[in-house]
Amino acid sequence: MSFGYDKQVIRRRRITFGVLVALSLVLITGYFGEGPGGVLHTIQRGAQEALAPIEKGAGKALKPFRDLAGWFGDVMDAKSENEELRRENERLQKELARALIAARDGEQARSLIGLTEFSGYPDGMEAITARVIVRSPTVWYSTVQIDKGSSDGVEVNMPVVAAGADPQGTGGLAGRVVSVTPSTARVMLITDSDSGVGAEVFPGGENGVVRPEVGKPSDLLLDFIEKGRRIRKGNTVITSGFRSRGLESHFPRGIPIGVVTRVDPGELDLYQRVHIRPFADLRRMDVVQVLRPAGAGQRAGVGAE
Amino acid sequence: MTLSGSSALRLGLLVFAAVILQISGFGQLRLLGGNADLVPLLVAAVALYAGAISGALAGFSAGLLLDLAIGSDLGASSLVLTAVGYGAGRWCEVRRPSNSLAPIPAAAAVTAAWGIAFAAVSIMLEIDAEVSPLVLRDILVTTLLNALIALPAFSIVRRFLRPVLVVDPIEVRRRRRAPRERGPIGLRGLEV
Repeated sequence: MSFGYDKQVIRRRRITFGVLVALSLVLITGYFGEGPGGVLHTIQRGAQEALAPIEKGAGKALKPFRDLAGWFGDVMDAKSENEELRRENERLQKELARALIAARDGEQARSLIGLTEFSGYPDGMEAITARVIVRSPTVWYSTVQIDKGSSDGVEVNMPVVAAGADPQGTGGLAGRVVSVTPSTARVMLITDSDSGVGAEVFPGGENGVVRPEVGKPSDLLLDFIEKGRRIRKGNTVITSGFRSRGLESHFPRGIPIGVVTRVDPGELDLYQRVHIRPFADLRRMDVVQVLRPAGAGQRAGVGAE
Repeated sequence: MTLSGSSALRLGLLVFAAVILQISGFGQLRLLGGNADLVPLLVAAVALYAGAISGALAGFSAGLLLDLAIGSDLGASSLVLTAVGYGAGRWCEVRRPSNSLAPIPAAAAVTAAWGIAFAAVSIMLEIDAEVSPLVLRDILVTTLLNALIALPAFSIVRRFLRPVLVVDPIEVRRRRRAPRERGPIGLRGLEV
């Protein structure tokens, strides 16, 4: 360590620090000033493409450690979760009984038929299965990188779904593809601060936008639901797939997003604050599926898995 | 550490390994609702052993690589990590911590500073969504986990950088230690 205090050392230290800070500021300014096709964005995509094989290898090598840590985490969570699930089970049993009565009476038959529709993908879609190779380490950027890219038929804005926390549970919307390279793609998760998904509450049909709350990946907010609209705990939220005056949602209608956990009326707000727990386990994703229109792969000469 | 080809190579390899390990595996090892972050840990270790300039350089390169690899706003992580690395390096240069447990507070302070400063920069840049107070819990858990793994992590960094360090701070500390001779009642200088 040359911790001298002579003027030359002090000057060199200050100059180095000043140059590095200035470089960072130039990069930030340039990055925000250019479009997605700009030089810095192109360099970033090139770096992602170049790093992908190393990240893929490192991810595979570290998987046993991830699984071990996941197991410890699961054991620690299991006790509190068990009690919660027992209460949830009791509630669901009551709801099931009510739903069966309603079905027999024919009152909600229409809604129940609709419910079966989102146990899988929306009609006319096929899936490309991909592995998550990189995950953003901060809560401020909820993005992941997957090992499938444009050469596999992945395109920008395609929706991505992931499995739920419970193996038997329903999976749901995880995010959408925001950039692609020939062998990788970057997926912006629905918990990213820039994300907004047009959504519909099922079976009521109320429309809103699902937005994240930074730092709470297991709690999304359904915004723009007017007061007075009846939203109940346990209602399912799906993508609305709206089309209006040339504007079109990136997500087709019918992809399950999550379940309503709480509704805050908000005395001074114009809208209700509807809290949703996402179906997809967004914190522990190893495999995801990119959805694309059926037949798109044949047209492009690549197959779905 | 003087800037030479060998030291740059060693620093570069450390930065590369830390970033790749973090984004490919460590970021998903969730414990106590959070995860350890190797990147600020590395910056803190480099700053502690090699000084402010090396700390700032390690911070800038780690931030740049992180932004390139995960596709976040280019320059944001570099800016914060450069400042954090420089600050940690200056603190070590001025204070010259002699305790062998110094890596623990150094790692905790750098991780907390990185978490808070990065949150501030992110909010200033382009965060439209609401921010939950749980972000603070996330920073706290990461700080705690980094403090827990600080000793082995700093030890690895020191071993790797040792051949290029002008002065090894651990050796300096050993040399600074007082002689072990003590008097009959355990007090130095009271030999009878």
